[in-house]
Amino acid sequence: MYRYDEFDAELVDSRVKQFRGQVERRLAGKLSEAEFRPLRLMNGLYLQLHAYMLRVAIPYGTLSSEQFRMLAHLAEKYDRGYGHVTTRQNMQYNWPKLEDVPDMLADLATVQMHAIQTSGNCIRNVTCDPYAGATAEEIEDPRPLAELIRQWSTFHPEFTFLPRKFKIAVTGAEKDRAIIKAHDIGIQIVRNDAGEVGYKIFVGGGLGRTPIIAQVLRAFLPREDLLPYLTAALRVYNRYGRRDNKYKARIKILVQETGIERFTEQVEAEFSVIDLEGLKVSEEERQRITDYFAPPTFETLKNDPKALTSAIADDRAFSLWVKNNIAPHKADGYAIVNISLKPLDMAPGDITAGQMRAVADLADEYSLGELRTTHQQNLVLPHVKQADLPALFKALQKVDLAADNINLISDIICCPGMDFCALATARSIPVSQAIAERFKDPERQRTIGEMQIKISGCINACGHHHVGHIGILGLEKAGVEFYQVKLGGDASESAEVGKVTGPGFSQEELIDGIERMVDYYLDMREGEERFIDTYRRVGMDAFKEVLYV
Amino acid sequence: MSTLKHKGKGPQAMTANELRDGFSVWLDPSMNWTRVFADALRTEDTDVMEQMQAKADADELGNIVVGTYFIDIEPDTGLPVRYREKFRVRGPSYDTADLLEAK
Repeated sequence: MYRYDEFDAELVDSRVKQFRGQVERRLAGKLSEAEFRPLRLMNGLYLQLHAYMLRVAIPYGTLSSEQFRMLAHLAEKYDRGYGHVTTRQNMQYNWPKLEDVPDMLADLATVQMHAIQTSGNCIRNVTCDPYAGATAEEIEDPRPLAELIRQWSTFHPEFTFLPRKFKIAVTGAEKDRAIIKAHDIGIQIVRNDAGEVGYKIFVGGGLGRTPIIAQVLRAFLPREDLLPYLTAALRVYNRYGRRDNKYKARIKILVQETGIERFTEQVEAEFSVIDLEGLKVSEEERQRITDYFAPPTFETLKNDPKALTSAIADDRAFSLWVKNNIAPHKADGYAIVNISLKPLDMAPGDITAGQMRAVADLADEYSLGELRTTHQQNLVLPHVKQADLPALFKALQKVDLAADNINLISDIICCPGMDFCALATARSIPVSQAIAERFKDPERQRTIGEMQIKISGCINACGHHHVGHIGILGLEKAGVEFYQVKLGGDASESAEVGKVTGPGFSQEELIDGIERMVDYYLDMREGEERFIDTYRRVGMDAFKEVLYV
Repeated sequence: MSTLKHKGKGPQAMTANELRDGFSVWLDPSMNWTRVFADALRTEDTDVMEQMQAKADADELGNIVVGTYFIDIEPDTGLPVRYREKFRVRGPSYDTADLLEAK
């Protein structure tokens, strides 16, 4: 993992000191709320519906066990004993007090963490494939690239006051676990015909009130051109992006209004005159960063050791967990372990301080001290020996983290909604819990197979409802919550925005309608079809008919 | 000319968030801030509303609260009219912290 150098550490420490002074001045009345608000937002501190909320950055979703213990410490000392993993791989605390926040940030700084780039119209925290460095599917580990972008973008003087926030996601694999096409810029590591490694750049994706799938800006960008090219794209956006209307200020609107051909010309024109020398990253520097992410020394092991196969044969619960929660690792004898944060009785993405400490200990014991957060609001232990899986499973059972529902119908993405968020129009957590309750039978979940339900409590779409196989948007009219349904969304490499079915439903009607659609899918599916496959084959009208019966 | 900022109808209550803790608060009949909505002052008397506005402005300047505004109140129930404001009164319908406390 990347370790802060002196420059990084000084930067974060000085930021904590600066914010501590700002909070002191605010509490002493020397700063008005109007003056203080942008300052607190630049440090990840929001004022939500019931209290302050602090959003802590987890750059590219990678954490050490030590860092995760610090997140547990924050939850316990300054909050109400838990944290919430967000759909951008960060961690939120729902109940901090203003005067405690400088101490929280100081504590975070001791483990090289902060809340920078989690708010404001800047380049936000870069997100990444949670399987980075562990999956054989990738051309190379995307985290050195994400780290390079972090270093370049943090406090970038030219891009601190963009027309609107700017989100970048990266992946090193064709299979997209970072939803890169729903980002302002998405970067995929690719090889060209000559076998050289470079980047495919997507631009203009985003969800929110105007969902748009990103388009290709550059099919192949040489490595050394990355920062100059990103700078060119950001400059074009900074110059032409709308500032008159915040709802039309994202780069996706600019790309849409300009047209991808013209927008590309503008970026290429800017790129052609940019001062490359100041921005190009030397091979030496790139290698320096890459070295921090050097693959661990994996033991020489064989796949499917007896300890694993015996446990699978003897323990049905374990075998089901392995089937749903384990992904193949690039090294023989190892596995990628997904830890579901979607148990029946908790909000999606929530994790208690005790559970965080337990996972940190398990990361030390079984995963080389490393873990990941995912945009699907789960956790990943990236490097677990297959032979250790039975012991890990038992340890996870003890802390209620052994739910075997990864990618199943109860593995729901869900924003905090009206229960916490100042922008929300309806609740989303109770809807996710009602769906999980309705489909709580594990056998039924497995029969249904892969299903992505995503719920947002307002049109800002933090719950990614536009790209859910079933997307749910919570709205409110005359004091009554109702829920609009989208079908056919896709958050993968074949990203697609779902289509609205029609009028909304009460929560109860919604759950019944979802159940009818699921039953219809089970009746109609052919072979190994997933819900989304059957939907694509059968079409919207048939599903609408059962939804609105 | 009235300096009242509210443009609502019917009974009104004054709300804000505490600067230090961020919690939702409402002005009570003693012109103090309360975290308990049941204790909130609800009135249609414009003179009283003038006093509420003055108190809110003073306490915003005094760094006690932030984001003061009047909310419409349903005459029959005494609850806020807007759904969002009802939620500020009730608090979250789900909070993992409650589970932890229950355990």
